[in-house]
Amino acid sequence: MKNNIRVERAIKNITQADLAEAVGVSRQTINTIESNKYVPSTVLALKIAGVFEKPLEEIFMLEEGD
Amino acid sequence: MKPNFLFPYWFRYLGWGCVIAHVPLSIIGRSRGMTNVLDQPTTVETLFNAEHLFFITTALLMALGLFFVAFAKERMEDEQIWHLRLDSLRWAIYINYIILLVSLVSISDTAHILELNLWVPLLFFIIRFRWVLFRLNRSLTTEA
Repeated sequence: MKNNIRVERAIKNITQADLAEAVGVSRQTINTIESNKYVPSTVLALKIAGVFEKPLEEIFMLEEGD
Repeated sequence: MKPNFLFPYWFRYLGWGCVIAHVPLSIIGRSRGMTNVLDQPTTVETLFNAEHLFFITTALLMALGLFFVAFAKERMEDEQIWHLRLDSLRWAIYINYIILLVSLVSISDTAHILELNLWVPLLFFIIRFRWVLFRLNRSLTTEA
């Protein structure tokens, strides 16, 4: 699964730490999600989408092979 | 996240304290002629005598210590940590059962296999979990 959290963060001008705090996880988790090493749970994905006030599909998208 | 059945963070230090404390206790015990009760034939009289109680105390101290260390919360307990924890636990069970089955087949000393079983899964879990956390922290890329 791919995501454009990094881009969305840049638009909203918040750091990984800010986002991590807003959704209640560690900065490591946000970092690994951004680099596609960890796939978040649906709950966390929805929380992240909530922070950016966008629908889930605009932030997370399936890759070929998923 | 749902509440997890984990000990508070400071249990990690308590756990290491127990593990470390069991070492000098065991050494003192051994030097006073205490032997491992597993080396003796089991009879009714060997239960709850001084040696048996000593053995129980040190073994419990060690096992409880490892248990506390293994199941203490991390500073930031989130779903990724939870995921790594479960993954490490799975590997610890694999390793434990491989060792257990191999030793059951190749060693006739079942009492010591039991003793091994007391700490192998916990210790392996702790090592594997710490290792993945270390790798996770090291792989952190700097913010773009």
